[in-house]
Amino acid sequence: MVMSVRDWAIRFTEASDRDQTIGAMARYFTCTYLWDMETEKVIVEMVDGKVYRINIDPAPLDPYDFALRASAHSWREFAHPIPEPMYHGIWSASFRKDLKIEGNTLVLMQNLRNFTVQFELLRKVGVPV
Amino acid sequence: MVKHSPVIGRYVTIDVDGFEYKVFYLRNGQGIPLVCQHTAGCHNHQWRDLLEDPDITQNYDVIAYDLARHGKSDPPLNKEWWKEEYRLTADHFINFITTLCDALELDQPIFMGSSFGGNVALQLAHRHPDRFRAVIPVEAAEHAPGFYLDLWHHPHANASQVCASGVWDLMAPQSPDKDRWLTWHYYSQGAEAFKGDLYFYSVDHDMRGKLGEIDTKRCPVIMMTGTYDYLTPPEATEATARQIPGGIYIEMEDIGHFPMSENYPLFSVYLKEALRLIEERT
Repeated sequence: MVMSVRDWAIRFTEASDRDQTIGAMARYFTCTYLWDMETEKVIVEMVDGKVYRINIDPAPLDPYDFALRASAHSWREFAHPIPEPMYHGIWSASFRKDLKIEGNTLVLMQNLRNFTVQFELLRKVGVPV
Repeated sequence: MVKHSPVIGRYVTIDVDGFEYKVFYLRNGQGIPLVCQHTAGCHNHQWRDLLEDPDITQNYDVIAYDLARHGKSDPPLNKEWWKEEYRLTADHFINFITTLCDALELDQPIFMGSSFGGNVALQLAHRHPDRFRAVIPVEAAEHAPGFYLDLWHHPHANASQVCASGVWDLMAPQSPDKDRWLTWHYYSQGAEAFKGDLYFYSVDHDMRGKLGEIDTKRCPVIMMTGTYDYLTPPEATEATARQIPGGIYIEMEDIGHFPMSENYPLFSVYLKEALRLIEERT
């Protein structure tokens, strides 16, 4: 059974805020990003390394810096404890699968270390699709 | 308790196309020279476990150097290099390697490189088949476009972290955290050279239409690629090997683009098979 996006937001927030690798270099991890999972969308707002808010019902004009968009199938693949090849990261999935990285990618690059660690938390938390 | 490694580091000064380079290399072992090239934007510590593997060093003289501008090999000593953008070309890369091998008086070495080191291994087999006993291009392909990007040098981002985390996904999730983070650490040290290296990797290296000219009777070619490599995925390496008459392709399961650095115990299984195949053919 797929977890609700509300439950997912709670679990993801806890996992991110407690992650030691993010915590080790979190002071300037501040950005806002959209994850478009085809059947669910979330906007995650990071402030100084902590999840400040997760918008689980974004309106069309709600702002964000950058977005990751892929099919629900791809998001489920990202969430496997050990993903199959090419579903094991945002670069591999954007080069070889259907992941699209849009928006201000410079902000993504400015936060790439922590964002990469945070993305891999999906392997522990799962996805709401 | 004091623990010394058998690996020795030295410098040698060489002239390549009029550029004076003081080159740092690590060395251990005896027997057939095995010359190892690190990946773009990195340095010779990627070969740290190979250099200390007695199964290899009992029969092979392992030499892992830092390409100029990487690790402990400085930019050219006789040029105002800071006044030009660094862009590595195939010609200069090849001349660097052959000049270094001459300086170290190596007799028919095996050349192994990963990523841009794998691509230059293909170039060496093509241009200098009589100078090398064999080549082992790791994570290589005839052409590898798409990674010569401005974002590696964007002044508004932390280039060290962009390079290090930008290559994170090139490693397999099964590889040990300790070794993946060491590889990340090495990549945080090479941001300034990374983009210029990738000029060779993604732009100047283009062997499409030339692979049929490689003579594997003179220089055997054993290609190996990990299943988690998204830059040169297995199908790209396999397609490259198939175009080389006598070329051999080995697929490495559950490993990525930096196999020697991210998971040496697994990589060594495949490497030993590659060396066995070379022994059969030479």
